[in-house]
Amino acid sequence: MLLTKKTGSTQAQARSPLVHSLQRGLSAALPTMDRRGFLRRSGLGVGVGIAASQLALVKKARAKDNDAAVGAGRVEVKRTVCSHCSVGCAVDAVVENGVWVRQEPVFDSPINLGAHCAKGAALREHGHGEFRLRYPMKLVDGKYQRISWDQALSEISTRLQDLRKASGPDSVFWIGSSKHSNEQSYLMRKFVSLWGSNNCDHQARICHSTTVAGVANTWGYGAMTNSYNDMQNSKAALYIGSNAAEAHPVSMLHILHARENGLKLMVCDPRFTRTAAKADQYIRIRSGSDIPFLFGVLYHVFNNGWEDKKYINDRVYGMDKVREDVMAKWTPDKVEEACGVPEAQVLQVAQTLAMNRPSTIVWCMGQTQHSIGNAMVRATCILQLALGNIGVSGGGANIFRGHDNVQGATDVGPNPDSLPGYYGLAEGSWKHYAKVWGLDYDWLKGRYASKALMEKPGMTVSRWIDGVLERNELIDQDSNLRGVIYWGHAPNSQTRGLEMKRAMDKLDLLVVVDPYPSATAAMAAMPGDPKDLNQNRAVYLLPATTQFETSGSVTASNRSLQWRQKVIEPLWESRSDHMIMYQLADKLGFGKELVKNYKMQQVKGMDEPLPEDILREINKSNWSIGYTGQSPERLKAHMRNMAAFDVKTLKAKGSVIDKETGYDIAGDYFGLPWPCYGTPELKHPGSPNLYDTSKHVMQGGGCFRANFGVEKDGVNLLAEDGSAPVGCEIQTGYPEIDHVFMKKLGWWDELTDTEKAAAEGKNWKTDLSGGLIRVAMKNHGVHPFGNAKARAVVWNFPDPIPQHREAIYSTRPDLVAKYPTHDDKKAFWRLPTLYKSLQQKNVDDKLAQKFPLILSSGRLTEYEGGGEETRSNPWLAELQQESFVEINPQTASNRGIKNGDRVLVKTPTGGNLNVQALVTDRVGPDTVWMPFHFSGRWQGQDLLAYYPNGAAPIVRGEAVNTGTTYGYDSVTMMQETKTTICDVQRA
Amino acid sequence: MARMKFICDSERCIECNGCVTACKNENEVPWGVNRRRVVTLNDGVPGEKSVSVACMHCSDAPCMAVCPTNTFYRTEEGVVLHDKDTCIGCGYCSYACPFGAPQFPAQGAFGVRGKMDKCTFCAGGPEANGSQAEFDKYGRNRLAEGKLPACAEMCSTKALLAGDGDVVADIFRNRVVKRGRGAEVWGWGTAYGSKQAGQPNGAKS
Amino acid sequence: QSVNSVPAGGASTTTPPAKVAPEDLPPGATPGAGPGGIQGQNIFEVKPEVKRDASSEPGYLDQTNGQRNRVQPGNNAPMWRGVQRGMEGYSSLPKSEAPEAGVLIQAPVAYPGTRYVTAGEAWREVRNRWLIPYGGALLVIALLALAIFYFVKGPLGHEIGDGPRRIERFTPFERAAHWANAIAFVCLGISGIVMAFGKFFLLPVIGQTLFGYLTYLLKNLHNFAGPLFAVSLVIIFLTFVRDNLPQKGDLRWLLHFGGMLSGKELPSHRFNAGEKVVFWGGVLLLGAIVVASGLVMDKLIPGLVYERRTMQLAHMVHNVSTVLMLVMFFGHIYIGTIGMRGAYTAMRRGTVDDAWAREHHAYWYEDIQAGRVPAQRSKPLIAADGPADNVRPA
Ligand SMILES: Nc1nc2c(c(=O)[nH]1)N[C@H]1C(S)=C(S)[C@@H](COP(=O)(O)OP(=O)(O)OC[C@H]3O[C@@H](n4cnc5c(=O)[nH]c(N)nc54)[C@H](O)[C@@H]3O)O[C@H]1N2
Ligand SMILES: Nc1nc2c(c(=O)[nH]1)N[C@H]1C(S)=C(S)[C@@H](COP(=O)(O)OP(=O)(O)OC[C@H]3O[C@@H](n4cnc5c(=O)[nH]c(N)nc54)[C@H](O)[C@@H]3O)O[C@H]1N2
Ligand code: HEM
Ligand code: HEM
Ligand code: SF4
Ligand code: SF4
Ligand code: SF4
Ligand code: SF4
Ligand code: SF4
Ligand SMILES: [Mo]
Repeated sequence: MLLTKKTGSTQAQARSPLVHSLQRGLSAALPTMDRRGFLRRSGLGVGVGIAASQLALVKKARAKDNDAAVGAGRVEVKRTVCSHCSVGCAVDAVVENGVWVRQEPVFDSPINLGAHCAKGAALREHGHGEFRLRYPMKLVDGKYQRISWDQALSEISTRLQDLRKASGPDSVFWIGSSKHSNEQSYLMRKFVSLWGSNNCDHQARICHSTTVAGVANTWGYGAMTNSYNDMQNSKAALYIGSNAAEAHPVSMLHILHARENGLKLMVCDPRFTRTAAKADQYIRIRSGSDIPFLFGVLYHVFNNGWEDKKYINDRVYGMDKVREDVMAKWTPDKVEEACGVPEAQVLQVAQTLAMNRPSTIVWCMGQTQHSIGNAMVRATCILQLALGNIGVSGGGANIFRGHDNVQGATDVGPNPDSLPGYYGLAEGSWKHYAKVWGLDYDWLKGRYASKALMEKPGMTVSRWIDGVLERNELIDQDSNLRGVIYWGHAPNSQTRGLEMKRAMDKLDLLVVVDPYPSATAAMAAMPGDPKDLNQNRAVYLLPATTQFETSGSVTASNRSLQWRQKVIEPLWESRSDHMIMYQLADKLGFGKELVKNYKMQQVKGMDEPLPEDILREINKSNWSIGYTGQSPERLKAHMRNMAAFDVKTLKAKGSVIDKETGYDIAGDYFGLPWPCYGTPELKHPGSPNLYDTSKHVMQGGGCFRANFGVEKDGVNLLAEDGSAPVGCEIQTGYPEIDHVFMKKLGWWDELTDTEKAAAEGKNWKTDLSGGLIRVAMKNHGVHPFGNAKARAVVWNFPDPIPQHREAIYSTRPDLVAKYPTHDDKKAFWRLPTLYKSLQQKNVDDKLAQKFPLILSSGRLTEYEGGGEETRSNPWLAELQQESFVEINPQTASNRGIKNGDRVLVKTPTGGNLNVQALVTDRVGPDTVWMPFHFSGRWQGQDLLAYYPNGAAPIVRGEAVNTGTTYGYDSVTMMQETKTTICDVQRA
Repeated sequence: MARMKFICDSERCIECNGCVTACKNENEVPWGVNRRRVVTLNDGVPGEKSVSVACMHCSDAPCMAVCPTNTFYRTEEGVVLHDKDTCIGCGYCSYACPFGAPQFPAQGAFGVRGKMDKCTFCAGGPEANGSQAEFDKYGRNRLAEGKLPACAEMCSTKALLAGDGDVVADIFRNRVVKRGRGAEVWGWGTAYGSKQAGQPNGAKS
Repeated sequence: QSVNSVPAGGASTTTPPAKVAPEDLPPGATPGAGPGGIQGQNIFEVKPEVKRDASSEPGYLDQTNGQRNRVQPGNNAPMWRGVQRGMEGYSSLPKSEAPEAGVLIQAPVAYPGTRYVTAGEAWREVRNRWLIPYGGALLVIALLALAIFYFVKGPLGHEIGDGPRRIERFTPFERAAHWANAIAFVCLGISGIVMAFGKFFLLPVIGQTLFGYLTYLLKNLHNFAGPLFAVSLVIIFLTFVRDNLPQKGDLRWLLHFGGMLSGKELPSHRFNAGEKVVFWGGVLLLGAIVVASGLVMDKLIPGLVYERRTMQLAHMVHNVSTVLMLVMFFGHIYIGTIGMRGAYTAMRRGTVDDAWAREHHAYWYEDIQAGRVPAQRSKPLIAADGPADNVRPA
């Protein structure tokens, strides 16, 4: 009965013994973990070459819809990067006749070694795009109708000009995207500036804004200090508020490997997550109580003298004050009361971190998304500083970023309080950029309503609804918001969905530029309260391309930049974001100014600004954060030679000369992780680990940034003697480099004449020649941003020493009494913002009795963000078909709920979410948890009828944010999504 | 001769479903057919482990034994494949398979199941290697291209290993030695461990 | 470590899972064999750091996987034990689409005549070791027996006289129902037999490809004929139940086997006791079982969860009952065709003559003579294009 396939063909004969012997040979020869060797198909992976020779398979051909596909018949391999999260996994796309027919793993990538989670492995579906918006549409009588691009752009620009005339440029809010490439994000900020407003924002606001603010104010840069790869050097890791196994799955490749080599993994989370399942210790805390826990740990560190005293003395400011505070306030009993963790467990964490150094801490949304998020993240920083773990390989504050390019968009994109590169909005910054853009400062100023508004941070994406709904006299700008442009952002990711619907109805103009604009579209089209509907409202949908239909750079969480090649031509009628920006700017009358420094390339017969040129402009301007060394040529050389980079250090293993550019990658770190200082010619290798004094600055070493003065109340803020990067000529602490300091040091003459001309009167951030940086770094080993101490006390924040404060909606009135929130703020990011008054009202209304459960939310591996994109991908959608709420068996049985039942999640705003119950021990009895990726159902109703024809996602479900509540971080306006309250009942 | 096997390292698998969508992508598997799936045991409590499972390409394959039309065959690498032309969709293989591997496309009226589909170890089917007909029926033939299964190649944590049994066992062994635990290779006992699948070791059939 | 120390796949690698302390094994199991022999395998002799004394703690055996991992890190025995017993895990696939997605491996079971192994394996043994060989043998034996009977005894009864007086034995409706049923049965029987035994007698003859296509056709025929058969079976039952109720004389008929052996047929009513046995045992009992199990296999019973276990049970029941039914109806068909003169025409045309009725169903004939039963029950059909069978003049 056994049949054996006759494998007659030649390849078949050659195949198996070869696979066999090569793999055997390799794995026997190589030490444990060089899986890359094995995985690189055992040398068989001439790879796609073989694949290509055998390919005659045009699958799901869209060729007929795709002009560019006609002809050729060529098979090409394009290297791109997954667009779903910040890990930055590389992908090889096999394209035949212009159709993306296959996807191959890139074993050479030092970041992912070919690995992918569900989303990355399903990436090719972007080449099908079946459920995408295909052409521009306009809402007419409650239905979306097809219109031409020309009509769309003309009508939109007329509407915009009308709003501008009637209510000023600040009456429009521009929501950019962390899914844009660096070039697109940068162009977006430039676009909004030229439009004349700071009312722009993107996902980082509701993602890691608290991290960025908190961390940057502690030691310099608001970014992950080390890399996923470097975590292989850690001996212990504490994940607090990060569920990396689901949110950054491929990062687990490195961590699980480290764990096999002895790393002790601890997870602190209200939920027993997939990450917790891999931990040696799991600590369940009450959502929102991270500070009590972290300071509880710190208490034991101090109590046992485990802190790194020399490190604190040399490199940290204010630890003594923190120590006093912690020892007084966070005794074990108070810790247990506030976060529910018994002393023994807290002590064990402290001990594990202290005894297994270098130890690292990872955090993510569990810490950031709170009204005290800024304080939480700083508490974590302080713990790491106390242990001397920052600036150390294997240590660090490993902040896993969110979207594929949220790091880049934060660095150079549409932020309401800053120009690209964290330059701020002061006059000097504007002048810096006026020069870079080749525009007249006064002309720029004229675009704004006033100089004051030009220098005043705009509103945030978390609050745009209040910009519409708030009484006009209470807001800190002339007009309310009247137009909103959703340019690559979902609506169901912002809280207070019920109010958002009202705000959407009140608008004059709503434009959605997105490959999958449908969630916003359906929400706008569904009937709301007729009172709210603005009869004059216009809604437009514009089909944007995905990142696979264009090229550009993207910054991963570890600050490495990767260059995406264009995989396919734009599908259907979609256009790339930068093309749309250019075309819209043109209609609005500032097209020429926008693209002054760029060459154009032809895409489907239209002009599109060349991404390489935009990157070059970024290179020329973003000195402050070292986005200057990453020229397109260097990045492309890295992408072509990934195999040459070491998996653990990310450093090029030797000299490899890129065939196309002739560039030698020797000494570089993969993707030139920013800061990569100076001009590309300086050949700074990028910084693998920030603030690492064990390396020369020209090898990526560094120290803490001098950004907060040289002393505070008589205490020295600069680093103590002897604490400087290897090879640094100044062994004491020093402030940042500028022309005066340079001259004092006697190094001025090392500048060339042209450099001198450019650097005169400038500091290292504004010297467009890069001369100051070159001389300081290359000639003297001196870090241009100075050498200072990290701040344990951030005196410019509402709580200089992080304080625990209960969430605005809390289930614990007893703790609210002890740890009340901040006072209300009047004009905060242009809006009045409630804290104490609302918290007190909630206590008075006895909300905790009506809504006795903590409602938290977060991520599923299969879906991303608002989820419209991933829920439209059948390969992913099949794996998660229902929106659900996780509920503890005890809580469920008290309510007569069985696994799989339909239940109603009721929230104080009137949210009434009809979802499936997942009865599970993952959550404790006081907490329920929902994934936030669903939309398309609204308080029990299916919105299918309101979607543009054919553009509804496969899976629709109730969005948790329809029911989430008020609450914003006291520094950044981060929304409070992780801790609110609800009740659950059987439906 | 290589003997192809899977190992899923439950100490590593994080239920990310990368392997599942890699398979869907590479083989254009339709909705409703899951050649591979991931199961989490002790979900949500300490001791939780996840395992990714597909056809194990058993030594003495029960599916093969019960198929009314003898449509299964085994390749030289030990991969259990089947011929969709002669499959009658009776479902017997799915009753017999201990791992729940055989899948059937959308259920038609009166129990019409359509042709059985299951993991091919990315080795296609009886048609010519790399032909369109082979692709349409069985998906890619990666083995013929000198590549390993898509699911394992893309596994996010390299929990899932596929390839010559000796080679993957070596890799796994190194890991186990290193970490000193988690040596259990799930499913091997049933799939290959004894002369008769699913029987106590050493039992004569 | 030498590569060679790893046994090649396929060969027996029966290293007992080293980390599993003897206490971890279910009662009665030998080391190395979990329940049903399903096991993860520790393919190397790598032992985790196991605190040996942990196993002497009270409640050791009842520990969950989490508890066990605390005292003996890396010892997942409690979990694998659960898996071996078919413990269901979590899968995000909806139950409605993939009811068993959460089950890693089928739970073990001992079906009649099998060992305690995975349900699939047990089912395979039932089917391949019992049902197919013995069922097949039974069918062959039944056919042989009929053949022998035929050659020894020849057709029963006398030549059909075309006597002048025609008695209506089956109305057109009865005949229609019967033939619908009979045709469906034959389709089902043939297709079923090919499915079950075709690969032994047909495949070698016609080859894999043709056999595959043919069986595919027959299998689909089977799927559709089944429900048809089910419906007609109900009609048959209702139509014939009255005359199949036990009557006086049935017992005697049975005891003497209808007199078939003696050559002198015993009197009977409209249906003799033999027919009644077929009716109650074959049509009703086996029929119901076959139909019910068949409908389960067709996934036509609403509300039922179609798990593998369900299907295996349904299959085994179906197979046993269909084989028995086949045997029984081989007999019925034999008698209804070549085995008895005049029977076929009775069902084909609906009428018999006095002689046939007297010879085979004496009591029934008496009743007709006495007028207790009408000789003509249906309204005679006088078709325009010709006389109907039952009114054809002599
Ligand atoms: N699959 C997938 N991956 C993604 C994304 C996605 O949408 N889908 N999005 C990307 C983005 S934008 C981001 S920002 C990252 C986010 O990545 P993560 O932050 O890791 O993901 P979350 O699930 O939002 O939250 C992490 C954990 O925080 C816990 N938590 C809730 N409240 C608290 C608290 O008060 N304290 C502590 N310590 N923990 C708490 C939750 O239980 C949850 O397990 O993921 C990125 N990766
Ligand atoms: N309750 C709750 N709410 C949350 C969170 C939570 O944990 N709980 N997490 C928060 C966090 S961390 C984040 S980051 C947000 C994420 O939420 P969002 O970022 O709002 O969600 P996404 O769906 O990722 O939105 C990205 C949009 O960009 C589109 N897009 C993709 N590529 C391109 C492109 O190239 N160009 C253009 N123009 N558009 C593109 C996609 O189709 C999609 O519509 O949600 C936040 N909201
Ligand atoms: C309502 C009536 C019936 C239904 C719904 C039904 C259904 C089925 C089904 C679903 C199968 C499994 C194979 C497949 O999927 O095709 C099957 C197999 C079979 N059926 Fe039926 N059937 C019915 C009646 C019968 C009858 C009346 C017979 C014979 C007298 C029969 C004989 C068989 C045989 C022999 C098999 C093959 C078993 C094997 O391969 O082991 N069936 N039937
Ligand atoms: C090719 C197949 C078949 C043939 C040739 C056949 C032939 C016959 C004949 C000739 C009779 C008349 C006997 C008499 O006059 O007493 C008869 C009666 C009958 N047949 Fe069939 N038959 C077949 C199949 C079946 C099947 C599949 C069933 C039901 C499962 C069935 C049920 C009956 C019943 C109920 C009667 C009435 C007698 C009684 O109730 O015992 N037959 N058949
Ligand atoms: S979503 Fe993140 S982890 Fe998954 S493949 Fe994409 S980049 Fe990698
Ligand atoms: S796993 Fe199932 S389908 Fe695969 S060979 Fe074994 S019995 Fe057959
Ligand atoms: S479904 Fe196909 S492969 Fe499976 S047993 Fe039936 S005929 Fe064989
Ligand atoms: S080996 Fe290939 S066919 Fe099998 S599960 Fe993996 S990807 Fe799918
Ligand atoms: S890809 Fe790997 S880690 Fe992810 S579910 Fe599959 S086997 Fe597990
Ligand atoms: Mo995010």
